[in-house]
Amino acid sequence: MALLMPMAAHAADPIKLGVLEDQSGDFALATIGKVHGIQLATDEINAAGGIAGRKLDLVIYDTQSDNTRYQEFMRRVLQRDKVDAVFAGFSSASREAYRPIVDQLNGLAFYNNQYEGGVCDAHMIVTGAVPEQQFSTLIPWMMEKFGKKIYTIAADYNFGQISAEWVRNIVKQNGGEMVGEEFIPLGVSQFSSTIQNIQKAKPDILMTLLVGTAQSSYYEQANAANLHVPMGSSVNVGQAYEHKRFKPPSLANMYVTTNWIEEVDNPASKAFVARWHAKFPNEPYINQEAENSYLAVYLYKEMVERAKGSTKRDDLRAVIAKGDVCFDAPEGKVCIDPKSQHMSHTIYLAKVNDDHSISFPKVWPDVKPYWLGDSGCDLTKKNPNAQYTPSNPPPKS
Amino acid sequence: MPGFDAVIGFLYQFGDAAAFLVLCASGLAIIFGMMGVINLAHGEFIMGGAYTTVTVAKLGVPLPLAVLCGALAAGAAGMVLERLVIRHLYGRPLDTIVATWGVSLIASQGTLILLGPSLSDISTPLGSVEIGALSYSVYRFVLMGVAAAILLGLYVLFNFTRFGVLARATIQVPHMAETLGVDTRLIYSLTFGIGAALAGATGGLYAPTMTLVPTMGVQFITEAFVTVVVGGGDVFLGTAPAGIVLGFIKSGMTTWEGQLAGQIGLLVAVILVIRVLPRGISGLMLRERA
Amino acid sequence: MRFLRRLEGPQTLGRGPGFWGIAALAVALAAAYPLLTDAYTVGNTIYFFDWVFMALGLCLIWGYGGALSFGQTAFFGLSGYAYGVVTLDFGADHGLTLVATLLAVAASALFAAVLGYFLFFGRIGGVFLGIVTLAVTLVFERFMAQTAGPEWHVGAARLNGFNGMSGMPPLTVPWPGDDLVLSPDVPLYYVTLALLVVTYLGLRLLVNSSFGNVIVAIRENPHRATMLGYDVRKYQLATFVIGSALAGLSGVLYTSWGQYITPSSMGLTAAALPIIWVAVGGRGDLTTTLVGTLLLLGAFQFLTIYGSQYALVAMGLLLVVTVLLTPDGLVTALFRLPRRLGRRRPRAADAVDPGREAA
Repeated sequence: MALLMPMAAHAADPIKLGVLEDQSGDFALATIGKVHGIQLATDEINAAGGIAGRKLDLVIYDTQSDNTRYQEFMRRVLQRDKVDAVFAGFSSASREAYRPIVDQLNGLAFYNNQYEGGVCDAHMIVTGAVPEQQFSTLIPWMMEKFGKKIYTIAADYNFGQISAEWVRNIVKQNGGEMVGEEFIPLGVSQFSSTIQNIQKAKPDILMTLLVGTAQSSYYEQANAANLHVPMGSSVNVGQAYEHKRFKPPSLANMYVTTNWIEEVDNPASKAFVARWHAKFPNEPYINQEAENSYLAVYLYKEMVERAKGSTKRDDLRAVIAKGDVCFDAPEGKVCIDPKSQHMSHTIYLAKVNDDHSISFPKVWPDVKPYWLGDSGCDLTKKNPNAQYTPSNPPPKS
Repeated sequence: MPGFDAVIGFLYQFGDAAAFLVLCASGLAIIFGMMGVINLAHGEFIMGGAYTTVTVAKLGVPLPLAVLCGALAAGAAGMVLERLVIRHLYGRPLDTIVATWGVSLIASQGTLILLGPSLSDISTPLGSVEIGALSYSVYRFVLMGVAAAILLGLYVLFNFTRFGVLARATIQVPHMAETLGVDTRLIYSLTFGIGAALAGATGGLYAPTMTLVPTMGVQFITEAFVTVVVGGGDVFLGTAPAGIVLGFIKSGMTTWEGQLAGQIGLLVAVILVIRVLPRGISGLMLRERA
Repeated sequence: MRFLRRLEGPQTLGRGPGFWGIAALAVALAAAYPLLTDAYTVGNTIYFFDWVFMALGLCLIWGYGGALSFGQTAFFGLSGYAYGVVTLDFGADHGLTLVATLLAVAASALFAAVLGYFLFFGRIGGVFLGIVTLAVTLVFERFMAQTAGPEWHVGAARLNGFNGMSGMPPLTVPWPGDDLVLSPDVPLYYVTLALLVVTYLGLRLLVNSSFGNVIVAIRENPHRATMLGYDVRKYQLATFVIGSALAGLSGVLYTSWGQYITPSSMGLTAAALPIIWVAVGGRGDLTTTLVGTLLLLGAFQFLTIYGSQYALVAMGLLLVVTVLLTPDGLVTALFRLPRRLGRRRPRAADAVDPGREAA
């Protein structure tokens, strides 16, 4: 079969992009918009003549919030559909499920999601925000405003534990004190004991790093128990738009750092939202992952065009290595860091008001994903194909 | 008074955990204990009840009535399901696992297609109360009361009404009941409907405290099964003590070592109970009585 | 040769030259398949094969032995993680992956022996057996899901919590010169296919042996079997250990195939799947289980690819309709179609109705 394949694609052949996202199952709420973001960008690019004269063609599979489907379909898009790049994954578990396959089959995958950070893998480009971008901005700001006693509740898995580690480190660096830390198993929906523990510890700030629809029941329950500590989060609002879905004031007084949400008030962002609603009028909310997915397609366009139309991974990485692959996204200018292949972002501090409207007390432009590069991950030199954490950093060479 | 606070706090958590377990399990216990049907779609009845309750409540209906609507809707859906599917599977309890699993897939994905990935919620009524240094959600106390009331109601229904007598007769010796002129098909159908309605009521009661998504039923089902197994086949003799014992284990372990310990403690308790009491608590009681 | 006559017998569907002719043809087709198709299909078919071992094991425990285990995924996960730990700590050279495979399967067998001892010697049966085993697999899942921290490691192998353990090497076979790496491609396909054929034939021999007759007798009527002088518990335990070792084998093959294992492989959804494959195919027989599992895996994947958001609804409908229309399984029904007039096997008796038992 391989012999029948042309050695080089004709210029007129479309560029194929694989899309693996959870359009059903537990994560559907936050991920349907990611598919729409890719479709919107693709339509816009195709209407403007495609990439280097070639149209974009999407191959979309529904991974049903199931890790094994990622394994099946990652093979399928790379081996059967022979896509040029893949846009895949919401949960970190799904990313870890498909990553060995992308490495094995030498593909290129975009992970367009905010996550716990640390993936140092030449086959991956991450367009979402990472903890150092969200916490190094959020926590000092909140500590200055509300006080130095912090309590963390976090989902008991990789995202929660690693994020909690970041919180702990940044609190310590800024002279604060952790008065409590509690990890909640995924799927737990009853929080009476957690709420009591927080009440007893009397923190100034509560970091809520909860994940999933079950755990999001916490806010209503805390509100019903009259627990009103200022909350900080890297994951709420920007992902599952809890401020829109929950009855006020359960999320009031929450502060979230996000690289974009629907409410961001600038001309580029407004125009983006308008274009989106013209194409998908029934979209309940456009979240940060949707914007990450949208801008990922444009970044890909930028890279391919600068590689003179080549879609080969090595050519694209040579372009990335120059360190100036950027795009003017709805959030502002974003650039790829060549060492870690993560993105710089504009970080918005979103405050949830009593009526669940959003205001932005502070904006940090051009926040770099510095941690991986500083701690020894340099994909321009070496590809370790690994995920690191603050307590398990890259080996120093 | 930290000691006083701790005691009240623990009692509240214990009551909260026990109420959750009893409410989760009562519908499943009736369907499983009385009919031998393993209903993996139990969680979807809970979801259906929650969705109906919230939708009706948003139209301005007071919450207690809305919960009743949720229960009735789930009960009606249950009777339809019994008629179409379950009726053909009596005597094949293990096949009901496959069939109800299928139903659960259809129900949760169907809800996603028809109603979207989530429903905006309603807030928890009744506010909070301060006892000592801690504040508690009043609605949680209501849930504890409702759990007790539902158990009492079921006890009355199955022991002191004509329906209850006929139902127990049908379940114990179906052909004898039939010979005596009981419409056993109707009895099965109603019993299944009551189980489903209880699930719906549970969904309705917890709807104001939870996030409404099509897959929310899964959050109840493990706890429900655990309680039913520990309780054994009889709803009245088993479910209430099981809810209390497990609620105690869960809240104790959670207070002591955190949520994970509470969860794992619950599951380990099941394995131990089954090793000691293969027929659950009600099996033990029935044996003593016999 | 007397021994090989046990390949057919009262406990298995299919006998005579016709059946074996078709079986041989099926194996020949399967052997020729990689030559006719692309690399994706080869890798994907291996993935389907990987699950069949767990289904065959459950068929033995449930279909033949009459004991429903809802927790076969516990063994699947245990062996998967064991393979990961051994290979990450000791590497893949000198055929060490094969040693890791044996160790991982042995770990499952050992754990099944301990758990089974408590279950069967505690006389737990029927639906309760299902729920205890389900609780075991859920405990495993919840436990592994919280091992994200760096303190959870075995030697160099991080357990890595809910995100799952990755980076273990694929299976390797020592080969003169360079080791043969069995990444999901044609060589691994033939190895897996051969394993599958050997397992299938081995199980046929087992269930048609006197051991098999006894476990079926226990399924049909445990009291009678006891009266005839058999220690029911020992036979049930042996069946459970063999079936669980097969689930472990599935776990190793799956883990080495995708170089990844996750706690959700032991969750509720994952645990229900083997039961569904076996029930829909026809739990009373090895051949129907084998064919049914492959058909369902294929059908579910097909629906997911082409059914868009209706895939899960269609799967649900398929399950409900199958259970209603073909009580003994879809494939069993197809099997019987050509020889409706032939001998009918008695229906597999279900476990005792718990409601009635308690009442």
